[in-house]
Amino acid sequence: MSALLLNEISEKLQRGKAKDVAALVSQALEENIDPESILNQGLVSGMNVIGEKFRNNQVFVPEVLVAARAMNAGLKILKPALAGAGVEPLGTAVICTVKGDMHDIGKNLVKMMIEGQGIACIDLGVDVDPQVIVDTVRDNDVQLVCLSALLTTTMHGQKDVIDALVAAGLRDKVRVMVGGAPITQEFASEIGADCYTLDAASAAKEAKRLIGEMRG
Amino acid sequence: MTNRERAMNILHYKQADRMPAVHFGYWPELLLEWADQGKLPRELALSWADGNAADSEIDRLIGWDFNWYRTVGAHNGLLPGFEHKVIEVLPDGTQRVQNPDGLIERIRPGVTSIPSEDDYLLKDREAFETLYRPKMQFCPERVNYEYFKNFNQTRDKDVPIGLHLGSVLGTIRSMVSVVGMSYLIYDEDEDLFADVVDTFADMQYKCAEEILKTGAKFDFAHYWEDICFNSGPLLSPETFEELCAKHYKKRNDLCRAYGIDIISLDCDGVTDRLLPTWFENGVNVMFPIEIGTWGDQFEAARQKYGKGMLGVGGMDKTVLRLDRAAVDGELERLTRLSAMGGFIPCPDHRLMPGTKFELVQYYAEKIKEIRL
Repeated sequence: MSALLLNEISEKLQRGKAKDVAALVSQALEENIDPESILNQGLVSGMNVIGEKFRNNQVFVPEVLVAARAMNAGLKILKPALAGAGVEPLGTAVICTVKGDMHDIGKNLVKMMIEGQGIACIDLGVDVDPQVIVDTVRDNDVQLVCLSALLTTTMHGQKDVIDALVAAGLRDKVRVMVGGAPITQEFASEIGADCYTLDAASAAKEAKRLIGEMRG
Repeated sequence: MTNRERAMNILHYKQADRMPAVHFGYWPELLLEWADQGKLPRELALSWADGNAADSEIDRLIGWDFNWYRTVGAHNGLLPGFEHKVIEVLPDGTQRVQNPDGLIERIRPGVTSIPSEDDYLLKDREAFETLYRPKMQFCPERVNYEYFKNFNQTRDKDVPIGLHLGSVLGTIRSMVSVVGMSYLIYDEDEDLFADVVDTFADMQYKCAEEILKTGAKFDFAHYWEDICFNSGPLLSPETFEELCAKHYKKRNDLCRAYGIDIISLDCDGVTDRLLPTWFENGVNVMFPIEIGTWGDQFEAARQKYGKGMLGVGGMDKTVLRLDRAAVDGELERLTRLSAMGGFIPCPDHRLMPGTKFELVQYYAEKIKEIRL
């Protein structure tokens, strides 16, 4: 019975049915299915399917956005139960758009997909000063920094953040992932980033791998 | 030969004495940069717009023949538009601004850039029926009839001028943001988004029809869409086909009935998944073919669709920030592409800050040396 219900959560999430997902998560809790199973076998499983399909060009941005919205609707119901059961996220990522850049569609997509992997995200927003990122890394148990830039005129802000992390002696504490329209693997390597991905689904997959590396 | 004859001949696989030097305009910051360097008067930088007098004067200073975005058309948007107003000023100076499309944007005064979307008004059926549908209707005020009645006599006869057909989906995406469009496609009122697209498209069709009925003659017709990004379309090709194909066909059939057989469409990003819908429904010129940023390829489209697929663009504008050797390499590639016929090289988007004025002059001079 619980496997069927969890599968239904996953299916509804993939179809972006936020109200249904919220109702099914409530039902699962009422049926005493453990919160971690609801998270992993229901919500995360659904986002994984969407992520894979997005990577393979089988679904597109709208499907990812509505699935992520459904994920959030489910998580809102589930969070207190997760906390009560002592379920911890896989790790924590800081995410933002760099200084001088106001754009956040790509950043938000990546954030949704990363959260869909069970990773906690500290979202610093857009146009973020490198020092704010450094302070956040210093003050929190963070394993990953994700930096977005939409414009050729702002992409070099990603290097400024990496330089600031080095200057603060924090570079070894975290992995740094970069992305955004003008970013290439060549540019990522040149500025000393640990990872570049072309799309949000690949970013989420890499985030899980990088956090796994950092947590040993 | 006039530039108009050159361009139209090339796009019809006919003889032309040389390649015209065609461009797609500039980021405003670049023009200010050039003004600071003394390359052009500051007033030109400040007053530039596609196809205006400042554009022509900058063409002369650089050596361009014309801007492909020399188009005219009706008022194809919301009429009247929403009040343009600052809703909120954030502590860091960022303004939350409602634009005439009803989109709430975040803007930093002094910075021109692609808008950053924050919120939108068209969220449900009620907002559509009360706020948007009335602004999407045809009315005579949308068309400057006097201008179009005199168009054939008053137009610049040296350069091609296009009829701007508006946009089937791009403008709607601008009204509601990428996020809003996604939610509207999937939200509970399943017919709502299709209704929005149909209403807006019907008005734009009527605008084009009214202009063509005046007797004005155009060299080409043109759409703006911008509905793709770095990994492909912003919505599924199936949804796009379902929502938009019929509107392209109807509008393009109208153009062909009035003798316009060159129909170009401006879409940034990787466009290949949407090309079938465009091509099969009458669009036949890819523009601007962003090879530098996204690797969008004209050759692949030509191979797939044959000689009916034409192109304007595909020149990697990033080489114009480098040196003559890089420009020469790009010219070599463009010469090979041009030999296929039906293709006019043009920088693959607005020239960006850091572009070297002398290199643009060099490119404009050299591209004219391509013989066909």
